Amino acid sequence: MNETSNIQKINDSYDAIVIGAGNGGLVAAAQLAMNGVKVLLLEQHNLPGGFATSFVRGRFEFEASLHELCDYGSTTDKGGIKSLFDDKFNLDAEFIEIPEAYRLILTDPGEDIDVTMPFGIENFLDAIEKEVPGSRNSVKNFFDLGKDILHATAYIGKSRGNPDQKVLMQEHSNFLKTTAYTVKEVQDALNMPEKARKILNAYWVYLGVPTNRVNFTIFATMVYLYVRRKAYVPKNRSHEYTTALDAKIREFGGDIEYNTKVEKILVENGKIIGVETVNGDKIKTNHVISNASPTLVYNKLISPKSEVPEIALKEINARTHGVATFVVYLGLNKTAEELGIKEYSYFIYNKGNTEELYYSLGKLETPNVQATICLNAAIPDCSPPGTCIISITSAFLHGVWDDVKSEDYFELKNKIAEELIDNFEKAIGASIKEHVEEIEIATPQTFARYTGTYNGIIYGYEPEPWDSFIPRLSCMKDEKHIEGLELCGGFGMRCHGYSSSMKDGETAGLLTLQDMIQKGEIKK
Amino acid sequence: MSKKENDKFIITVKSNTKDLFAFTKLIPNRKKRFQKASSEPITSDPMNELARKLHPRRQYLIVSEIKDETKTTKTIKLIPDPDSNTKELAYFRAGQYLSLKVKVNGISITRPYSVSSSPSEALNGFYEITIKKVEDGYLTKYIWDNWKINQKIISSEPNGFFYYESLRDKKEIVAIGGGSGITPFRSMAKEIAEGKLDIKKMTIIYGSSEEDDIIFYDELKELESKNPEKIKVVHVLSCEEVSLEGCEKGFINADIIKKYTDVNNSTFFICGPQIMYEFLDKEIEKLNLPLKRVRKEILGQIKDIVNYPGFPQDFAGKTFNIKVHVGNAIKEIPALATEPVLVAMERAGLTPPSKCRSGECGFCRSRLISGEIYIIPESDKRRAADKRFNFFHPCSSYPLSNLEIKVPRDA
Repeated sequence: MNETSNIQKINDSYDAIVIGAGNGGLVAAAQLAMNGVKVLLLEQHNLPGGFATSFVRGRFEFEASLHELCDYGSTTDKGGIKSLFDDKFNLDAEFIEIPEAYRLILTDPGEDIDVTMPFGIENFLDAIEKEVPGSRNSVKNFFDLGKDILHATAYIGKSRGNPDQKVLMQEHSNFLKTTAYTVKEVQDALNMPEKARKILNAYWVYLGVPTNRVNFTIFATMVYLYVRRKAYVPKNRSHEYTTALDAKIREFGGDIEYNTKVEKILVENGKIIGVETVNGDKIKTNHVISNASPTLVYNKLISPKSEVPEIALKEINARTHGVATFVVYLGLNKTAEELGIKEYSYFIYNKGNTEELYYSLGKLETPNVQATICLNAAIPDCSPPGTCIISITSAFLHGVWDDVKSEDYFELKNKIAEELIDNFEKAIGASIKEHVEEIEIATPQTFARYTGTYNGIIYGYEPEPWDSFIPRLSCMKDEKHIEGLELCGGFGMRCHGYSSSMKDGETAGLLTLQDMIQKGEIKK
Repeated sequence: MSKKENDKFIITVKSNTKDLFAFTKLIPNRKKRFQKASSEPITSDPMNELARKLHPRRQYLIVSEIKDETKTTKTIKLIPDPDSNTKELAYFRAGQYLSLKVKVNGISITRPYSVSSSPSEALNGFYEITIKKVEDGYLTKYIWDNWKINQKIISSEPNGFFYYESLRDKKEIVAIGGGSGITPFRSMAKEIAEGKLDIKKMTIIYGSSEEDDIIFYDELKELESKNPEKIKVVHVLSCEEVSLEGCEKGFINADIIKKYTDVNNSTFFICGPQIMYEFLDKEIEKLNLPLKRVRKEILGQIKDIVNYPGFPQDFAGKTFNIKVHVGNAIKEIPALATEPVLVAMERAGLTPPSKCRSGECGFCRSRLISGEIYIIPESDKRRAADKRFNFFHPCSSYPLSNLEIKVPRDA
């Protein structure tokens, strides 16, 4: 304890406490504060956002992790996130549409794919038919299934989780019949040509699980929403909307304390009674929403340990922790145009087989997988005139970095970064290395450092069919183990991704609110 | 395997019965998986462990040796405090600094000091910092009078971006140092001598005012003679009488730089006092270097802010009132227009977070609730959204009216 702690006190009791100001926590806190709940949002870092943040090097401000926001949409076809931001919170943040879906380059000899895919269902179908004659119908069916699933989940949502089985059978059979399957199983049934799959499945890396294991439901809805509603990025990096959420929470009457890491979630007889922070605060509350993952909550935060239910540990151990990412941020002293970089989003893989790609993330060497973005292709003035910003993202399976020593760390990350840059240069035929004015490299260690995420993981648990968002949402009540505790974020019920985490935060906020109303703690 | 019904596509993945059966088994299978799983808690978290090693929030150190380098300079050797949890020192990149938290006459302040020892020496259990006594210096006078062996010191993790970066910089580097600005270059040169920094050549151009002000003279000479291919040292002396052989006279200028370096094939690292930057900026401009090849170390607090170009001079001498919110507390403190908001807070006995004291690291990021501030444009490294939403860095912002601010608690 430092000697000035007497003047550094905060309130010792709140209706609800939100742990972590990441995408989920920010939205959860905003939801509660909006409904008049006396809420405190605690964040260990000195900024809001978690992964949804930015940083400045020299004359560049880099986006830390976002590639493209899904389910934002336009004023005429508003997505869930735009509704949340504009209609619910009236948030002061601007988003910019990304010009194309992606450019996919497969680099191994014989793979022979270098294709730029457009947004818009019809445009996408035209483009894929041109690349792979005869593929249009199977891809159209894929999108139709994505659309049907969204209708079905909207219906289930409206029914508050108690859908009429008959309605499901009659109107949403496409949803029912695909929910238990992987992408591969459904694409097999659709007779989708191999090459069309390679193109369409370029997005696999956003879920980080190969198509023979990733659940169809989540993949199809994600791809459908990207292609239909296009993707967006915040004009002034993610720090803009997360700071806008910070402002909104305070405007609604909520409190936020940065630099305040929660050390313990206090539980007594299966009920939340408070939290303790490393700063020495002991705060009473009956409701906690944790943006920190179940892995951290049940293995580390709940105190005393005797209050940790055995089943909660079993649930975590049954799941597979997702990937950690590796990002090379480059501020270049030439424009994207001068460098010959035309697209916003590049998926560069050596092969189209996602299973092989996934296993290449399992070694401590440069993966043959990168998702690279040039921010200026969407926001031309995101960096000073005459410059541009590129970020190259790759990933590593959980545990790959575990034995890295601090004295080898800098050399290792530079080696991998260099090879990723080489691979990008080779794939698109541009020369960027000599134009690097600023460079920063983030590894699994970096993401752990700034957010405290378990083992540097940025994606949550792998969404295989048995652990995708439908089973998670369906089991919401059964898998709630501590009274007054909700969890949200990338390890949450909607699986990972910015949009999912934010929607999950909204749900956690609403569930807490419902609980408080039922218990008569607040008025409706 | 699929068919059309009323124009609506209906999927059959395996067979109608199998698909529905798979759906109904989804949750029971999930529960079975959970039941079968181990209930062993996860106790290791290697990436957070590595983060703590590389970037500990605090390092508890003690002074183990104090060496006089010149009449006004001391090198202070720091080792882990045996009475603390700091068992090993964080590794770093040569050129980085430590932000020391020091209590001076009852007031807690921070100061960034470049590490002058090499990264591998941190692995061997020590850091060295080299401090020059500043005339009328608040902190250095205190250090000179009070620091003895075993003095306890709280330090941050190694910080800053002033280091050689192989993916950005040329293989030849030119290190331009003035006064105690030589310290990060000693670290780099030692690392080169240890064969651990992969560069072709480092030319150190080192400006001092008097011969006996040169820090590390013998040591640099030895590094140079043992690594003649890789390290070259040029002394530049501004005093009238010079007895050293082979040195340049006057201030470091474009001609001297051109004489000793391959200008178009080098990356320049500059570290020195503010007065050197003011002179050198114009000389560097003559060399027509792209920004990427000029790396300047942060300055710390600007001296003589009144005469800083752009500072509203008519505010000199004015005093304002700052209402500071920290946690639940509200404290009203006086503040000079010519002093950073951070300094006013420290003077008032608050302990706001800070590290670089130059506007760069953002560790002191606070919210301006009301009032006007002056921010040195060159030090304004705030994120775009922070500007829009009125967040500011108190270490590089000056009050131009009464202020109300919300400051995070110390981390």
